[in-house]
Amino acid sequence: MGVRSWIFAALQVSIATALLVGCSQPAANSGQAQPDGAKEQAGQEVRLKMVESITSPQRTALLKEMLTQFEAKNPGIKVDLISPPFEGADQKITQMLMAKEELDVLEVREFNAKQFSMNGFIENLKPYTEKWSNYDQLTDVAKRRATWVDNTPYYIPNGLYQRVLYYRADWFKEAGIEAPKTWAELLAAGKKMTDPAKNRYGYSFRGGPTGWDYALIAMWAYNGTEVDPSSAFFLKDGRTLFSTPESLEAMRYYKQLYKEISPPDSVSWGFQEMVQGFVAGSTAMLIQDPDVIDGAKEKMQEGTWATAPLPIGPSGVAQQVVGGPGWGMTAYSKHKPEAWKLIEFLSDPEQSTHFAKKTSVIPVVKSAAEDEFYKTGYFQPFIEMNQQPQTFIDVSRPVDYKGWGAWQSAADKEIQSYLLDQLSAEDLLKKWDEYWTKERAERK
Amino acid sequence: MQRDHIWWQTARVVVLGGFLAFAIFPLYWIVITSLKGQKEIFSLPIRYWPDEVTLLNYVEIFRISHFQVYIWNSFLVSLFASALVVVIAMLGGYVLARFSFRGKREVMFGFLVTQMIPIFIGMAPLYVMMSKMHILNSLFSLILIYTVMLIPFCTIIMSGFFQRIPNALEEAAMMDGCSRISALFRVIVPIMLPGIAATFIFAFVQCWNELIMAVLFIDEESVKTIPVAMNAFIKKYDIEWGAMSAATVLSVIPTMLLFAFCQKYLVEGLTQGAVKG
Amino acid sequence: MQTEKPIVVTKEPFVSPPKKPFRLSKEGAFICLCLLPAVLFVGIFTYYPLLRGIIMSFQNYTLFNLLDVRFIGLDNFFAVLTSPEFPRVALNSFYWVAVSLFFQLLFGFALALFMRRRFRGRGIYQAFVFFPWAMSGFLIGLIWRWMFNAQFGVINDLLVKSGLIAAPIPFLADGKWALAAVIIANIWYGVAFFAIMILAALQSIPEELYEAAAMDGAGRIQQFWSVTLPYILPTMLVTILLRVIWILNFPDIIYAMTNGGPAGSTHIFATYMIDKVIFGQDYGQASAVGVIIVLLLLVFTVFYVKATRMEKGGDF
Repeated sequence: MGVRSWIFAALQVSIATALLVGCSQPAANSGQAQPDGAKEQAGQEVRLKMVESITSPQRTALLKEMLTQFEAKNPGIKVDLISPPFEGADQKITQMLMAKEELDVLEVREFNAKQFSMNGFIENLKPYTEKWSNYDQLTDVAKRRATWVDNTPYYIPNGLYQRVLYYRADWFKEAGIEAPKTWAELLAAGKKMTDPAKNRYGYSFRGGPTGWDYALIAMWAYNGTEVDPSSAFFLKDGRTLFSTPESLEAMRYYKQLYKEISPPDSVSWGFQEMVQGFVAGSTAMLIQDPDVIDGAKEKMQEGTWATAPLPIGPSGVAQQVVGGPGWGMTAYSKHKPEAWKLIEFLSDPEQSTHFAKKTSVIPVVKSAAEDEFYKTGYFQPFIEMNQQPQTFIDVSRPVDYKGWGAWQSAADKEIQSYLLDQLSAEDLLKKWDEYWTKERAERK
Repeated sequence: MQRDHIWWQTARVVVLGGFLAFAIFPLYWIVITSLKGQKEIFSLPIRYWPDEVTLLNYVEIFRISHFQVYIWNSFLVSLFASALVVVIAMLGGYVLARFSFRGKREVMFGFLVTQMIPIFIGMAPLYVMMSKMHILNSLFSLILIYTVMLIPFCTIIMSGFFQRIPNALEEAAMMDGCSRISALFRVIVPIMLPGIAATFIFAFVQCWNELIMAVLFIDEESVKTIPVAMNAFIKKYDIEWGAMSAATVLSVIPTMLLFAFCQKYLVEGLTQGAVKG
Repeated sequence: MQTEKPIVVTKEPFVSPPKKPFRLSKEGAFICLCLLPAVLFVGIFTYYPLLRGIIMSFQNYTLFNLLDVRFIGLDNFFAVLTSPEFPRVALNSFYWVAVSLFFQLLFGFALALFMRRRFRGRGIYQAFVFFPWAMSGFLIGLIWRWMFNAQFGVINDLLVKSGLIAAPIPFLADGKWALAAVIIANIWYGVAFFAIMILAALQSIPEELYEAAAMDGAGRIQQFWSVTLPYILPTMLVTILLRVIWILNFPDIIYAMTNGGPAGSTHIFATYMIDKVIFGQDYGQASAVGVIIVLLLLVFTVFYVKATRMEKGGDF
């Protein structure tokens, strides 16, 4: 091409670019200039952007209600709530943070807290919590969740997710047995309930996404107090959890659970299927978080089901990871004081208890233990468990290790292989033992 | 044409009937589910017809979400993106079919390669681009990206259509003093209408269903499209099958209507470009 | 082939029309103007992100530590290619494409053949059998996952009721069944596209060709081999190529139905890549998988085009 054609081509490019920019301008204005313009007018109106992670239409509606109250109390601040669909919400939040997309308050999950802080995405809240009188209102577990990473408060939990046993009270009554207190009793009870011809099974097994979590619960219960609560893939003596004969026993037991008292396709069940199996009357027992109560109330007859504390292992204890998502602040927020105001409002004991009740989770504040709502009925086992911290031990997963992500993504497949008899328990544990021994060595 | 043998006719009825059953069964199942009450959806034995037909699921989706808004957004996005794609693909397809020029092969090849790129590979960079352009959370971002995603295939299809139309037609028009572009629009486009319609339908359906980009770019209620909204029925512990199936039925109706009314164009249009694909 | 060759097309694609060789003529300007929007859009929003993705595949790019992004050569590719899952993922991808494609083509062809002649209600019939193609992949996956469920799934219920099986089969819990299940869902989705394309091609066959063949004494089956097949072959070849590319790059159904499980038995490259992003949080390795997909398809396309001599057809 000659010079003229180059000029021509360049012209074309610039025209097209102008078109593109021209088209995008209105959107850009509405996104940015509006708050700025408003700022100039009203003096100090601030627009906060906030994103939630455990989204559901009901939860979003509840949050919006609370935000309206917040805005009424703080006339200069407006909050835009972003509610990405639950599936992929964390992925989306990560994406926003990586792009430094405008965002002030975000819901942090225990498994991404380390990642977010490590990459400098979220703000250390210490300067704020130090001056916050309600910080001491948080329960011990809630405080541990808040300071999960590096002993630093990166977020304020908004509710606790801990597991209990859900069981079919009517079936148990029919069979003349009590709710199981230990894993051994659970297996025995499950055998009584299982009758594939009637499409009835003892247990809602979790073999699908993050099924490793349930295998761990079994291994912890078998290893008992030897487990290091602060990094529960390891024992107090420094060896890995996977190196003990108790863990081998636990994995054998775990396979029995699947083969003998669970539906065959539960090897691929995720959250939804296991809960579905229980509420639809196909399985007799389910171990799940408190927010299942809400759905079960809606879909099951009163009196056909009940809750009980988590079964304990041969060691006499039961460990669990209490999940505690919460509100954090982006490190690059331009309105940090206002963002904290919002977090403070949402974490206020009254607001936070209200939120927990409505979303059917365990509140993070001490006063809630006295609340009638939690002292009786379906929620009672949670309170009961929390009052016996020696038996029901709160432990942490090694989410702050570099190899966590890769292990997690491989573990489900490996457990499924084991359950489907393609891999032996010994090999499985050996593999994990080697992996985590190496991880630990590399970390030091 | 010869008369059909009896076995041919039998085979025809069996194949067409069998396939209809295969194709339609899941649809039947969604419709039935959408008419069942919460409890009945998960009761055993499985009901092939609801004990009690209820429209509650439909009421529910309009109650808990702004479904009418999502339908409108999806419609706007699909309409504008498809229209834009058709225009761009028509221009591109026309020159690819009519001229031989340096770089033509490369352009064609470049278009073909876009079809091979997994959508996830460019997602993170694309998000950053959209963020920098300040067009996240706008219908415009979706119109833009859908147009981009559909251009290659539609351009190639269009170029196939143009190849089927004799060059003599526009030559004649140009002799009469039309410019090339006006010859294109006055003479060729009317003949190609079924082909254009087919491309438009193809593009429309793709936009209507697109989920990944929509979830990536859209957070705000007011600009959500149907797939994003439906994705929200998958909750932590529960897929709301009642709402999900009702929403599926509603979302499929427009595309089915489009198919029913325009299927003539779809096949006829593609017939024009068939041999060249 | 029956197409009228446009007059300007020459055999050598790299040579501009000889009349005006090195100046941007009016015609050249017209060509640029018409192609510019398409090329510009695709270049900016498809190729630029792809380029970034390719760069990422050579980097240590994990969400665990974004402060430590650096070039690591081919490490990501080695990690992916030597991982124990890889052979299985590759094999699954092959089955996924080959089996899906075979049945989509077979059913699509049969359907088109039988639909060629008009019958009452063909329009409505068409709308119904083509509708799966108008649904989103994720939705299809969800719906089939539910239908294949061992407890509440309608498929097991029907099979048990009809006496074909004694007890429900946990389709999605067994590796082999699960792969079959996702492929069935994919076949359900993809038949329509073949049917539409082939039907269109069939309808473009001039009736005179059949008449001539009949005059020569060709029976129906002979007519099929001597007239129908040769005529629609080009369409089929292009459609098959496109479908291979699309199917390999189509994670939606598998992702929604099995998420690659159980035990990785239904992972294909495309879902494996998503898995690397969402669970492994390793953008580098995920991009490496993406690059491998593109390379595989490029190699396949080159061989396919050479083998079928499609380039003689002029389009690709």
